[in-house]
Amino acid sequence: MRSRDGNRHFTRRLCPIILLLLFPLALSAGEYLISYKYIVKDATLYNEALFISHSMKKCSGLPQSDLLLYSNGESDLKKVIAQNSAEFLEYIHKLGLHVAYSDATTNLQNSSTTTLTLRTTCFKVDFNDTFVTIVPLK
Amino acid sequence: MRYSVLFAMLLSVASLFGADKVLVVDTTVVEQTNAEVAAAKAEATKAKEVAAQARAESQKTMDELAQVKAQREEELATMTAQEEILRKNKSMHISVVGQGVAPMNTSSPAQAYALAKRAAIADAYRAIAEKVKGVRVDGQDTIKNMMMQKSTLRTYVQAMVRNADIIETTFKEGLCEVEMEIVISHADFAQ
Repeated sequence: MRSRDGNRHFTRRLCPIILLLLFPLALSAGEYLISYKYIVKDATLYNEALFISHSMKKCSGLPQSDLLLYSNGESDLKKVIAQNSAEFLEYIHKLGLHVAYSDATTNLQNSSTTTLTLRTTCFKVDFNDTFVTIVPLK
Repeated sequence: MRYSVLFAMLLSVASLFGADKVLVVDTTVVEQTNAEVAAAKAEATKAKEVAAQARAESQKTMDELAQVKAQREEELATMTAQEEILRKNKSMHISVVGQGVAPMNTSSPAQAYALAKRAAIADAYRAIAEKVKGVRVDGQDTIKNMMMQKSTLRTYVQAMVRNADIIETTFKEGLCEVEMEIVISHADFAQ
């Protein structure tokens, strides 16, 4: 007759596998490529674009200052960023943007274009239960 | 013998007459040369006076030039003393104001504010880049038949701005103004 803990060895072997399978569900991490650009023409916002995509290969670089965004269980980064766009854009500004400005005055008529760009940067993103941690890798 | 004596007398008389003529000619020449020498002397003294005057004037201009040079050097020294230079182990604050306006077709005042603020931030970034890195300026004028056909002036700025802080934002009558500040240090530019 088998004892109550007759499957002890089996359970011991299975538990780590189950934990390994469940761990990414509880805390999943991924690398994303994010770029951002906006154009201001004659002191008026003309175009704004934020591109987010999964990284196809592993990124190299050291983690920099991180950002915590409230996610409310959401696992789609685009949706999380859309919910917290103001904080995310402020954070991007802090990271540093390339400024390209050109101004042309022809026959006393002036027109100007300013382009602010965040060059495509790899971010490590950790999804937790209620918040998301975003860390740029440089 | 008689003829020879007569001939000798004639010769002597002739020689005497010739000598008289030569003497007369010599005196006039001497008088003329004396007058010329006097005139030349007068001219020389005049020229000397003119040269002295010119020398004095050139000395005056040299002194004025030296004065202007000294003044310019003093101005440059004061400008250098006043100019802010980024030194090692010291930081520098740069403050700018960016302006932006909302587009005409906004659906709400909040959207207008958000878009105007974005434009103002971009303008402030441009102003910081201009202050730190400078501006490239190109100008072109086209003139045909002594008349201006076209006048073009282009300016360019390119920079990377990091860690700029918004100090104050105001939105009044469709115009958004953003006061922005950046602290730069020598280490930011070290290679």
